[in-house]
Amino acid sequence: MILSDLLGVPVTDPAGAPLGRVADARFVLDGPLDGQLAAARLFGLLVSPHTGSSFLGYERRTMRAPYPIAVVLRWRHRGIFLLRWEDVERVDRDGVHARPGWTRYDATID
Amino acid sequence: MTDEGERLPRPEYRGRVLDAALHLLDRQVQDVHGEPVQTADDLEIGDVPVGESLEGAERPRILAILNGTALSTRVVGGRPPSSTLERIPWRHVADVGTAIRLTIEADDVDATWRERWVRDHIIRRIPGGRHDPE
Repeated sequence: MILSDLLGVPVTDPAGAPLGRVADARFVLDGPLDGQLAAARLFGLLVSPHTGSSFLGYERRTMRAPYPIAVVLRWRHRGIFLLRWEDVERVDRDGVHARPGWTRYDATID
Repeated sequence: MTDEGERLPRPEYRGRVLDAALHLLDRQVQDVHGEPVQTADDLEIGDVPVGESLEGAERPRILAILNGTALSTRVVGGRPPSSTLERIPWRHVADVGTAIRLTIEADDVDATWRERWVRDHIIRRIPGGRHDPE
């Protein structure tokens, strides 16, 4: 699969209600060694309820300048959350579907 | 499930975190000597069975960095044909910073074959084309 197939697609909860769109995909270097680095495994999807566009780095907790841009982007991505891959039931042509009992996680990073 | 406005739980990360669009896409890819090779236009990730339950499936991993015509399709939509994308396997990545650094030389990367072909078959035949400008 190509990552572009996931970015921007709609995400729904188990009842089919819309949750937002995939704004980014979060990988963690926690797999077995693959060359010099650990394998980068998909940890989850950043789901933004109002836009599928990029957060441009303002998902970093410390990123607060320039202030006007930070304010606009945080407003556009208000309610953004991390949907862990293990909470994804399936991916199909309609988008990504969360499994029953899924949890909304904090999407910010340090 | 937590409602919006409440403080959401933070997941535990057991390794370095890389957000694809933030840390990888559009970054310059450099060879082992720091020479620019290409940009990271897209990523090839492990197979995700479309329409099937992911129960018990392994988390997909990044298999390769892709370079090709992905930028135009990202703007106008659609999907670039896989045959037009050059791939650099993830095992050749040494580090990810402001650029993505490889463990191999540019000449060993398939993505540079056009550049090498033009150099070897055209530029070298031009008088003075075999040495640096003086």
